[in-house]
Amino acid sequence: MAKPTPSQTVGPFFARELLWGDGDKVLFPGQGDRITLTGRVFDGAGAPIFDALFETWQADAAGKIPSGGDGARPYGYGRVSTDTDGRYAIETVMPGSFRGPGSETYAPQISVTIFARGLLKAVQTRVFLAPLEAIKDDPLARAISDPDRLRTLIAARDPGDPKIYRWDVRLRGAGEAVFIEL
Amino acid sequence: MAETPAADVHPPYLYPDYKSTRLRAPAQPLVRVAPSPLDTAGPTFPKHFVKDSEADLTTWGKSAPLGEKMVLVGRVLDEDGRPVRRSLVEVWQANASGKYPHPVDDHEAPLDPNFLGKGQVLTDDKGRYRIVTVKPGAYPWQNHAFGWRPAHIHFSLFGNAYAQRLITQMFFPGDPLLAIDPIFQSVPEAGRRLLIADLDLEHGVEGVALGYRFDMVLRGPRATPMGV
Ligand SMILES: [Fe+3]
Repeated sequence: MAKPTPSQTVGPFFARELLWGDGDKVLFPGQGDRITLTGRVFDGAGAPIFDALFETWQADAAGKIPSGGDGARPYGYGRVSTDTDGRYAIETVMPGSFRGPGSETYAPQISVTIFARGLLKAVQTRVFLAPLEAIKDDPLARAISDPDRLRTLIAARDPGDPKIYRWDVRLRGAGEAVFIEL
Repeated sequence: MAETPAADVHPPYLYPDYKSTRLRAPAQPLVRVAPSPLDTAGPTFPKHFVKDSEADLTTWGKSAPLGEKMVLVGRVLDEDGRPVRRSLVEVWQANASGKYPHPVDDHEAPLDPNFLGKGQVLTDDKGRYRIVTVKPGAYPWQNHAFGWRPAHIHFSLFGNAYAQRLITQMFFPGDPLLAIDPIFQSVPEAGRRLLIADLDLEHGVEGVALGYRFDMVLRGPRATPMGV
């Protein structure tokens, strides 16, 4: 087996090169309930991370894994950077739940990968767009025994606007999000 | 649980000599989980997503950029040596003076009006890519006293499955700055050579451009056959 190429940080300079004008609008071939996933990314001192590359990848409203694209962009994939307040926002559709190869059920979720200066390897996780009670059978939820840690992966529906899901990400320290490896 | 080969070559999250890792590296262990159907699939970049001209970073301006012109070729393979086909490779880099066209780049070096330093290409059916550019300059950074980043080209790869997603950096052979670069040094010894291109004169253009070769290997999720 060949050794994989080691990961390196994305560094501070990527905005002119990697960002897309409409990277915050996730496209799908069909319809779905449009939602916004938004929040802030924080470091171990609680300071906002203003130079993270935030990528999302998800199933469509019916739980189908997208393939293809609209010509300009691949379906199902979002790419933005955080702003000076550490804030990101992705406009997408509410993903459906889907099944794995062993017929396990994945709760409605969005795969998130964060790259940043100071991250020698990306951090990857899955954010749930459903309350704690509704995700208990999800494979990742089952792998996390501590409910307090699991809560770091649950986006909260905005009480004032049900189309907005809020999810803050702490990379390190108190309230640190759960990150995964495959 | 057995260590994966990847653990031998990837840097740790926390590498205190690279100061930005101190507050950004996760402290908790990663949770191991089986790849989901999202991980074994990935975003599709259709052929026309990339224009042929985007593989040549030297034709972006009205005339040629300053610097040492180079042709960079290589292959993207998986751990079993299979080509990663029709997969997006994005590159970005400083200009020959070591300057990025970014407002937050405070290096007092000149911008080059004929160089943006951004390119992309899809690998072909053999996993090959070819990029034409200029050799980037080294640049100072504030991580430590007299810190200078060795010349490098940033790479972003998607592979054929989201589990293969990788961002890395390519360095040049014989660069004395590699020894004092904590970002490069964060990679365990066994992996460092894998980040250094080889001189490959025959892939250059006689009298015009130096040739270099940089092959990359993407891993897949453990025990999951990756479609290529
Ligand atoms: Fe750089």
